[in-house]
Amino acid sequence: MNRLLAAAAGLMLLWGALPGHAGELRVRVKDQRGKLVADAVILAVPLDAKNALRAKPPADAVDQVDKQFVPYVKPVFVGAKVRFPNSDHVRHQVYSFSPAKKFELPLYAGTSAPPVVFDKPGVVVLGCNIHDWMVGYIYVSETPFFAKTEAAGTAAIEDMPPGEYTVRVWHPGMEHSEEATARRVTLNADGPSSIEWELGLKPALRVPRVSGAASSGYP
Amino acid sequence: MERGHPSAATLGAFAALLAFGAVPYAASGDWTLGAAAALRHDDNVGNAQSSSDIVGDTAVDARLSIFQLFPLDESYSVTVGGDLGGEAFRRLTGLNNASLDGALALKRKWGLGAFVPWARAGASVGRSSYDDSYRNAWNYRATLAAGRRADERWNLWAEYAFERRAARSQAEEVPGVSGDAFSQTSHNVAANLEYSVNENAFLALGLRGRHGDVVSTTRASKRIYYASRALADDPAFGPDVYAYKLTGTTYGVRIGVNYAPTPHSLLGCGFERFDTHADGGNRYTKSVSEITWSYRF
Repeated sequence: MNRLLAAAAGLMLLWGALPGHAGELRVRVKDQRGKLVADAVILAVPLDAKNALRAKPPADAVDQVDKQFVPYVKPVFVGAKVRFPNSDHVRHQVYSFSPAKKFELPLYAGTSAPPVVFDKPGVVVLGCNIHDWMVGYIYVSETPFFAKTEAAGTAAIEDMPPGEYTVRVWHPGMEHSEEATARRVTLNADGPSSIEWELGLKPALRVPRVSGAASSGYP
Repeated sequence: MERGHPSAATLGAFAALLAFGAVPYAASGDWTLGAAAALRHDDNVGNAQSSSDIVGDTAVDARLSIFQLFPLDESYSVTVGGDLGGEAFRRLTGLNNASLDGALALKRKWGLGAFVPWARAGASVGRSSYDDSYRNAWNYRATLAAGRRADERWNLWAEYAFERRAARSQAEEVPGVSGDAFSQTSHNVAANLEYSVNENAFLALGLRGRHGDVVSTTRASKRIYYASRALADDPAFGPDVYAYKLTGTTYGVRIGVNYAPTPHSLLGCGFERFDTHADGGNRYTKSVSEITWSYRF
């Protein structure tokens, strides 16, 4: 019995001593009126370069459903290959003019479009040349530690090595620069850290899907 | 005068059948369906000048549309479609009508994206069937339009349309004077501006110009008679009332407010004012107020 206890204590000590025991960062984002904000991207950049794990970026996808990009905001790690499957019955022509990635997928249906590699950090605004109201965002993160807030305005970044991070927030409708949101956060291994932001958001403005000033006149 | 038997109701039922039959196909194909309805008040339906001849009325309008967009390449696309509609008046029930239209348009965009210039050429042909069937007509329309969305807030486009309305000529009321009062030809221009207030609301302003045939329905009048090129009995407006065909120029302005409660639908209210100067010093004005709803699947 004593041997068993000793072995368990030894394992616990070893676990605690392992470098990079994972921590967690929990965030909540509200707007200037206290409303919880969805689709905000949270980025945690480790100050210690060795904590910036260079994991292979996973393959990602942005779908097109009901003539909308789904999800509306998609954060990916730099180098990610993103596919653009088309779940609609109509063809789409996806493009971006953004400096972080300029590309165009000629008209296609289904899953025939080749993946696009996002190899430069920054915001990529997506559009469809056929359906002008379609807009979506890919945030290409320079750090592997990122998450996107859900409808409840919350997000969690898990499996983070303890240490110091610069954490910042980006949202498509934010009034100020992303850099202005930066905060220094120290992450310990002994439990999750929580942090909250209040973002100033501009009223959203998009090309309307149904439009037209029809005349009723028959003079 | 004929009181229509196979007119509005028959055409409406046929059109509804066609539309509902198309829904399952549209749902599984590239077709896009739309529906629209309007409640509209016209304070001078008959285009009359004299206050004693002016008749205002309110109508309900409903419309179903189906179309398919065929992108040809990055610049060109073709739209093929059609719509069917019905209009019911509160008082002037002889003007109740159903219509069925088919349309074809070729659009060109100069560049990629939502904010590049575009131009469109289109043509449509349709049939209108009235409760008072002497107004039944084939409608032909050819359009040229061009525009540009400057940004998410401002959208501007202009349109020219040639319209031809071909109705059956009525019996001559006056020997030697044509009874073809309901056939009309006109040239129309419009400039439209939309301003988005926010993601769900936008304001619309439209300027209109029209030159061509106009039909003014009044009691017998020498002044309008001498200026007219055709006249016919028009019992939809009551007994001893005549439709006179004149040549006239109309100037109009439209303002509207639109609100999108969902991405697929649009509610709106609008006001239009028209001022028409016709031959022989005949001049009339009309105002049209409307509440509209449209839905695009």
